[in-house]
Amino acid sequence: MTELGLRFFLSLTQIAVVVVIVIVTVLILTLAERKVLGWMQDRMGPMEVGPYGILQPFADAIKLFFKEDIVPAGANKFLFTAAPLLALIPAFIGFAVIPWGPDWTLEINGIIYKPFVISDINIGILYILAFASLGAYGIILGGWASNSKYSLLGGLRSAAQVISYELNVGLAIIGVIILAGSLSLVKITNAQSGWFWHWYLFAFPAPQIFAFVVYVISSVAETNRVPFDLPEAESELVAGFFTEYSGLRFAFFYLAEYANMVLVSCIAAAMFLGGWNAPYPGTILELLGFPSLAWIENTMWFAAKTYFFLFLFFWLRATLPRLRYDQLMRFGWKVMLPIALANIVVTSIAVYLFPNS
Amino acid sequence: MNRLKQWVKTITLYEIVAGMKATLSHLLNYKPVTLQYPHEKRTLPDNYRGMLALLRYDDGTEKCVGCDLCEAACPSRVIRVISAEVPGEPTKRYAKEYYMDMTRCLFCGMCVDACPVDALGMTREFEWAVYDKRQLHLNKQQLLAIGDRSFPVREKRLELQHPNTAFFNVAFKHVPQKPV
Repeated sequence: MTELGLRFFLSLTQIAVVVVIVIVTVLILTLAERKVLGWMQDRMGPMEVGPYGILQPFADAIKLFFKEDIVPAGANKFLFTAAPLLALIPAFIGFAVIPWGPDWTLEINGIIYKPFVISDINIGILYILAFASLGAYGIILGGWASNSKYSLLGGLRSAAQVISYELNVGLAIIGVIILAGSLSLVKITNAQSGWFWHWYLFAFPAPQIFAFVVYVISSVAETNRVPFDLPEAESELVAGFFTEYSGLRFAFFYLAEYANMVLVSCIAAAMFLGGWNAPYPGTILELLGFPSLAWIENTMWFAAKTYFFLFLFFWLRATLPRLRYDQLMRFGWKVMLPIALANIVVTSIAVYLFPNS
Repeated sequence: MNRLKQWVKTITLYEIVAGMKATLSHLLNYKPVTLQYPHEKRTLPDNYRGMLALLRYDDGTEKCVGCDLCEAACPSRVIRVISAEVPGEPTKRYAKEYYMDMTRCLFCGMCVDACPVDALGMTREFEWAVYDKRQLHLNKQQLLAIGDRSFPVREKRLELQHPNTAFFNVAFKHVPQKPV
């Protein structure tokens, strides 16, 4: 096999594994959301398909596959078809730079590659932010191409909301970037190894607690989740930008929303909570004499942190009512933005005063 | 001071945290109020007003005397009675045909109250969803069948009473009272 072919094969394998993991996570999330929401509201959630309803995601998927694919009259067919893909691809493409496990390098036939990150590019986080904002196009175009009032209103709301809150996401992350001195998620995660007070949430010169809060709130808004679900507000806009979508295209939007949630949670875990680092130095499996299995523990820690954030999404949804539109804008521009900017200033000064910590 | 307190509450997200604590406590003390309906059913109250039914005496004869009072009492005109003489007994009448359009019925029970001979009863059946609403247009045989399966213990015909008492439900001192 040529070197290029081998590289190609390795990358494709990694991509396939990551995509399967993300899709399985999304399947779990669709059930987990309904279950957790039900439990928090003294209900049971889905109970019919399989024991305790655990096969519900498959039933949903099969139903969506076999549904009629309706294109409304007067819709722009090309954009109507392209919009779900425009929403789905950016949501999945961001996973390319997420480090899932320890920063190991393997060598196969002279090719050095990292097994736990598809591509360790030096602008990792910037790349994710860039593609996340492309995802807004899918929503806006889907809303516009449907030729429906509700869809258009949902798309417009989403445009305004995503733009204002993406700014806050970017600014909240800058504090971490200043501390780490790198845009690569792998380097950022490596810099947080050791005890849990090395995580950037608690790190010494400038703990990023405020940035973390801003990031969590803004990422909830960016993924259009309750309490910031104005683009798809059920009680006002039927279903917002995907009112007219059905069948597989609807499934794509659905998948994109949940994949975005997973992506945002992964970034939060990697940037603020130390990614795959355990809260103690090293790993227990390494101490027990299985250094080659240590990646399992690290990956589990990453999964635990990610799932904590995903649980937080459900938790917020069960607790909070939807914001009014002017409240959303005022909160984004007048509260979140100054906090994020102040955090950058404070972090910069702290890093300048303690350059070696 | 009060404003300072309010401000501290705002920046620490106090109210949101309190709300999230409430939802989490529901998650941890999970006591669902859901009833898994087709698999488990609630206990109905004693005076439950379900599907209407026509009743018989224990010798199998119909109680209905075709007086039309139920039709008159019905507020939504569910009932249609076609009354006729009992063949060979010119003083007695019966319901030759008896229709109920259950799509309109609002289960008020006024027909049951109006019936002088207790020929109508409200059963505890409520699972009457159908695909074709014409199936809810019931005739006398169907209504009697509902009565037969819902009230297996039938009332005895009051043999001692004057034929007219059955019509007007008038209590005579020398006639045994119907159990209420």
